[in-house]
Amino acid sequence: MKKILAIIWKDVLLRFSSPVEWLFFLILPVVFTVVLSLGTPNENSDNRSILLVVDEAKTPLSREILQQLEKSPVVRPIETSRQDAEQRFRERKTLFWMLIPEGVSEERLQSGESLPLTFYEQPNQITALAVRRSVQEAIRTVTQSLQAAQFAVEQAESIRPFENENQRLAYFQEAHRLAVQLQEATPERLMVLRENAPDSIPYDPRTNSSAGQLITWVFIPLFGISVLMVSERESRTLARLMTTPTSSGTFLAGTILGQVLMALVQMALLVGFGIIALKVPWGREPLGLAVVLTAGALAAAAFGTFLGTLVRSSSQANNLSIMLGMVMALLGGCWYPLELFPPAVQNVVKILPTTWAMQGMLDLTLRAGSVQDIWLEAGVLLGFAAVFFALGIWRFRKQLA
Amino acid sequence: MKRLWLIAWKDLRLAFRDRAALLFLLIAPFALIMGMALISGRLTTPAGSNTGIRDIPVWIINEDGEELGNALVEVLTSTELADLLEPQVVQDVSAARQAVEEDRIAGVVRIPAGFTRSVIPVQSGNTWQPSPLVQIEFYANPARPTSAMILEAILREFLSRVEAGRIQGHTAILQMLQSGLASYDQIEAITRQMRQSVEKDESDTGLTLQVANQEVKEEVEFDIMAYMAPGMALMFLMFTASYGGRSFLAERRQHTLQRLLTTPASVAQIFGGKMLGVYLTGVAQLFILIGASTLIFGLKWGDALGVVVLVLCATFAATGWGLLITAFSRTPGQVSAIGSAVMLVFGILGGSFLNTEQFPPFLQTLARITPNAWGMDGFAILASGGGLTDLSYTLTGLLVMGGVLFAVSVWAFSRNRQLVQA
Repeated sequence: MKKILAIIWKDVLLRFSSPVEWLFFLILPVVFTVVLSLGTPNENSDNRSILLVVDEAKTPLSREILQQLEKSPVVRPIETSRQDAEQRFRERKTLFWMLIPEGVSEERLQSGESLPLTFYEQPNQITALAVRRSVQEAIRTVTQSLQAAQFAVEQAESIRPFENENQRLAYFQEAHRLAVQLQEATPERLMVLRENAPDSIPYDPRTNSSAGQLITWVFIPLFGISVLMVSERESRTLARLMTTPTSSGTFLAGTILGQVLMALVQMALLVGFGIIALKVPWGREPLGLAVVLTAGALAAAAFGTFLGTLVRSSSQANNLSIMLGMVMALLGGCWYPLELFPPAVQNVVKILPTTWAMQGMLDLTLRAGSVQDIWLEAGVLLGFAAVFFALGIWRFRKQLA
Repeated sequence: MKRLWLIAWKDLRLAFRDRAALLFLLIAPFALIMGMALISGRLTTPAGSNTGIRDIPVWIINEDGEELGNALVEVLTSTELADLLEPQVVQDVSAARQAVEEDRIAGVVRIPAGFTRSVIPVQSGNTWQPSPLVQIEFYANPARPTSAMILEAILREFLSRVEAGRIQGHTAILQMLQSGLASYDQIEAITRQMRQSVEKDESDTGLTLQVANQEVKEEVEFDIMAYMAPGMALMFLMFTASYGGRSFLAERRQHTLQRLLTTPASVAQIFGGKMLGVYLTGVAQLFILIGASTLIFGLKWGDALGVVVLVLCATFAATGWGLLITAFSRTPGQVSAIGSAVMLVFGILGGSFLNTEQFPPFLQTLARITPNAWGMDGFAILASGGGLTDLSYTLTGLLVMGGVLFAVSVWAFSRNRQLVQA
């Protein structure tokens, strides 16, 4: 045990010998989490897609359309100039924009004219469908009462023509008043329920960012166990160590435990930051969180151990750890929610420990899960750990022999 | 000039012989590009096909079984939404909720019995039978917020059409009754006639929404990869920039730099040669990534001349950053660590991971210190059909950045002669 502690202490001292290490241990994970949180909307900010609106009409009707768009749960209208919208659209900085051309007015609408608005959308954007539908809903709401009055006039005329224009106008005005009353009394016909959970869980992308960055920045150094193993081999300190009464098991236990403990400290700091600065509900189920974090750290450490037996140089190990860490984080849903992946890919990425770690953390934070709800994720992560530790230890012993 | 080229050529060859460096020069950006292609579905679909969220799994329970309930089912299962939704009509409410809770589907749409009747009241003799309000239930999965938002938008748009029809019908009928134009006995027949005219007239009166993307579609088929690939390539370009600085300090440490200084080569030639080596490595890295993604994914980067000039300018700016990091670092390890940190921070700020349009304004402004943001703009312009002339603003930004960084770095080096002479 004393030897293991000595190895752990040596690794800690080595790792933090340069203050730059703090950059990767704490500063960059925090910077990334904050930037991603700022870059993705949260419950306090606007969660809707930005829709640039160019209002060239500047009429009460066009203002009403903008006001109605403001109420949309899907799009957030931002008024801008035509030049700006066209440039941003051309540079693909915006996916959609809408033009309300000159002449869009209530008077022309009342006279029965058809007034086209133009919705520009980037090609091949499947999500534009939802935005377009939301815009259509807003337009329909604005024109509902006018169109209803118009319709009433047409229907009346189909039964008996009006005697003169004044009579027609009076009928229109009365019908419009009625339509406005009906519109104002419109009941809410949609009830949106969120998943059953002990607490009410508003979706907050900061939770995703916090969990995703925690996994990314903890898994990469744990994969870096490979660097420690290869460095010891390269510098022949491992061979020297093996001439002492230290077994390969003691060396591995010390190296791995040290890194896992440092990872747990790093996780605790990032969880603390998430709770204090981002209000991420990490503290809801401390036991479950501890289980997921430990299982995840063990799985990543095991993979790092296995990797250490495969690569030849420490610089290769270093670059490979970062690269694999980034790729696994990307595919595991740590950078983008898994819901954005094609269904087949959502299944394929289940072979990655990052997917399960992320799933476990989201179960605890977004779904208010308990320990019972994360046993599958923790079990799979421990399974990864067992398999890769076995492979790593087997190869390590073979190399020593 | 020859010495300068010799030093640059030597460094270029060294960079591409270093297997560990190749991981970051080429393999890592390419692996991430592949990963992004996989998650966006681009690996399984051709260039220019639909991108973004697709096949949202949603279950529908139609307990209403009447006109409006059936119409909603038709909308959700329509061919227009076939790419976007993966609907399934089911019966069991608790099984459907269970599916949401287990994250198998994005949501459940339940149309309760009596929904149609709550919108279209039944006429009973001379009165309209008022029906209690029946709401459509949307049981959303909180872990799939984007999918849930899209489903909600579709439901609300459907309901707005229902509401528009209801208000039209009610207004017309009430007005007829109030004005004495029709009697209660006639209403049923009039209503039937009205429904037909509503269906006929809905799309061609009032405000209409015209969709304008056909022109762009014909001109250039935007490929999602054309946005992702440059993001990764530009991020790892910063690695190359710092790799060069590291080799400069490593040479000093190994005393090969001092040995070089005893030759007739001047400090300026050595320094210039090393920087040219970094620059050429960066240019080669970007061209290899561009070439490989063109061959493998059939990716169209746009105007070739524009791509070449943009690569040259972006690499110039990135090399400037590499030089600055070197000027203020003491050891190769420091350059490596700071370079990696800068690479990652610039990657996220510059839009390699997510669209910077979502950032608050101060971050969007801050992003302009990165060659990534300017480079991303340039590649997006080219991929959308722009040419060299459209890049003037972007190229100016990159050249100014590179020029300023070079000037500051040379000034820092000149103040720290020990860096090359020790």
